[in-house]
Amino acid sequence: MKRVRTTAAVIATAALLLAGCGGSDGKSDSKTFEFWSFANINQKADVDVYTKAHPDVRVKLTEVGSTTETAQALTAALAGGKVPDLVLIQADDLPKFMQSPDNFVDLTTLGANDIKGNYLDWVMAQSTTKDGKIIGVPTDVGGLAVAYRTDLFKAAGLPTDREAVAKLWPTWDEFIDVGRTYVEKTGKPFVDNTPTSVFFQAVNQGSQRYYSADRKLDYDNEQVKAAFDVTLKAFGAGISAKQTSFSSGWTAAMKKGDYAVVCSPSWMLSQMKTNAPETNGKWDIATIPGGSGNWGGSFLAIPKRAKNAKAAWNYISEMQSPKGQLDHFLLQGSLPTTPSVYTDPQLVGKTDPFFSNAPIGKIYTQSVVGIKPFYFGPQDGPVGTEFLNTLTSVEQGKVSPANAWDTALTNVKNAVRE
Amino acid sequence: MTTVLGPAPVPPDVRRPVRNRRIRQGVRESLAPYAYISPFFVLFLVFGLFPLLFTFYISLFDWDPIGEHRFVGLDNFSELLHDPRFWGALRNTFSIWVLSTVPQLLLALGLAHLLNHARLRLAALFRMSVLVPYVTSVAATTIVFAQMFDRDYGMINWFLGLLGFDHIDFTASLWGSHIMIATMIAWRWTGYNTLLYLAALQAVPRELYEAAAADGANGWKQFLHISIPSLRPIIAFTVVTSTIGGLQVFTEPLLANPVGGLTCGAARQCQTVTLYLYEQSFGQFHFGYGAAVGVALFVIVVAFSGLNYLLTTRIRSERP
Repeated sequence: MKRVRTTAAVIATAALLLAGCGGSDGKSDSKTFEFWSFANINQKADVDVYTKAHPDVRVKLTEVGSTTETAQALTAALAGGKVPDLVLIQADDLPKFMQSPDNFVDLTTLGANDIKGNYLDWVMAQSTTKDGKIIGVPTDVGGLAVAYRTDLFKAAGLPTDREAVAKLWPTWDEFIDVGRTYVEKTGKPFVDNTPTSVFFQAVNQGSQRYYSADRKLDYDNEQVKAAFDVTLKAFGAGISAKQTSFSSGWTAAMKKGDYAVVCSPSWMLSQMKTNAPETNGKWDIATIPGGSGNWGGSFLAIPKRAKNAKAAWNYISEMQSPKGQLDHFLLQGSLPTTPSVYTDPQLVGKTDPFFSNAPIGKIYTQSVVGIKPFYFGPQDGPVGTEFLNTLTSVEQGKVSPANAWDTALTNVKNAVRE
Repeated sequence: MTTVLGPAPVPPDVRRPVRNRRIRQGVRESLAPYAYISPFFVLFLVFGLFPLLFTFYISLFDWDPIGEHRFVGLDNFSELLHDPRFWGALRNTFSIWVLSTVPQLLLALGLAHLLNHARLRLAALFRMSVLVPYVTSVAATTIVFAQMFDRDYGMINWFLGLLGFDHIDFTASLWGSHIMIATMIAWRWTGYNTLLYLAALQAVPRELYEAAAADGANGWKQFLHISIPSLRPIIAFTVVTSTIGGLQVFTEPLLANPVGGLTCGAARQCQTVTLYLYEQSFGQFHFGYGAAVGVALFVIVVAFSGLNYLLTTRIRSERP
């Protein structure tokens, strides 16, 4: 009896270890698929719409965590674990996966060629390899605009009407002048911070970012330098509240009205509503200085080892159709990547009471048409982070504005390990 | 394999030569202890030794977890030697380690002495409550502390403001962020070390204290001449464990500056070596380089543990 028990214990231990390595639930029918998404983006609403229309389909949705955490989990899964059938990848993480496209199903084999014309070509280009494989279908883009507090603008003697406000700042230089006026009148900072609200917007408005058109790393260029310099100028004008975006101080200051302006890509609107519900109705939205641009967006991809690629593809083609994206926008507010719906009366007519009934569909789509496409490379993430961090160090008084550009280049060089 | 491992006694109805049976039983019984401790060693092999060796292996590669694995020899290590981010992380790690360990162990010593006092009322309550920070989730502790140290709306700066001082931007500055993280670590581990010291102190005969008191030694003198000397072995132990733990601090710097991503601040001012390892491996998919950082850390931890061991055994062996 004792021997049996010992044997059983050893076997159980071994089984436990094996289960940890392998693991399979064995259940996989053609109507079930697994979907990994980020948290706080409410893919559940989409899934609910889909399963309502197809009651026989079961979608196992996992909200992995932040966009970065989702990409990390996906990396681990691709490297040798259980992969989902469908996964959401944020635009900044996508280039890393595009380096090894063999990990994913080439969606042209499932019919992506028929639908690729529905999407903005410069977005589609990000998920298309040199030899024409399509790895992901875009779900949304991050159009740019400026959110401002009408009550604080009024107190500073500035216009509050969104058309009039937009006219104040066609360029970043004029934006800085408005900020100066505001600070003079109120004695309070104007914009939440300059690294995110100026640099990350301006650098996304050019025709080149950190790579040249022939896909070579080239971050030391005029356009990036111009965006960097205008950020330093904004900082030098003393208009910044120096609150790092998404920090607890940033949230607290937003609630208290300690700054009047946030440059807010379309996906940031829902965060503002969650962070500062008490400011409901006090905000409005105007067009961004410097013209069209995009920051962010996401893609849906199917890992190569997916058990049920077909079901995942059915989901993509239905939910990411122009109509699907329009419905998602009306429900959630994330901006469609399908230009055919940009003139749809439902999109144009969509207003948001939190932002004084600003026509968010109209304003944000303006910023993503006429975009000059640039290449996104695998080092875009680290390069952008180093530029942003150096500018944050300037705001924190740790790097002098005069040395900032050289410091940034050194940091970037270290980060890309040249 | 499993058949020989069991200590199983043979059923009595089996008729076999007695000698043979005895030998078998002897073999079984001598193997049995190994069977019982095997789960640990199996787990250690799978989750301890294998990852360790595998880390050494991939540190010789340019290793993309989902792409190419290119052998580069010792290139990762030579690059590491010239990487200012690595040396910065090492400096931060040591600074945070000293700032957290020294005050923490001193405080724990004092607390243990107080809790060991013969006339302490509600001793059990106090002794238990020092362990509360230890059982609180690290993440929760870190988030609360990070808010307390906030530049504009944190409690500490609010207090400084009341006293007429300027606000300190703790997270942005080198020393500020180190002090902040060291505070979190000390908060978590002081109670734990206190209990270790207390347990050792309870083994010290009461008569020693009574005799000292009768000779006119005050509390401080008793602490210095009775408590400390009798605690030497356990002090050596806590110093070694705090060294190993302190050089691998990860969660606090990761969560202390959440918007700084994996760099713990814009200037990497509080990024520790483990956080740098994580940034390289899981943030940027440079697994080979991350593994090289891990190997370097391994060597440093081994060296320092050895050094600490030598120092503290010397202290331990000195007679009071």
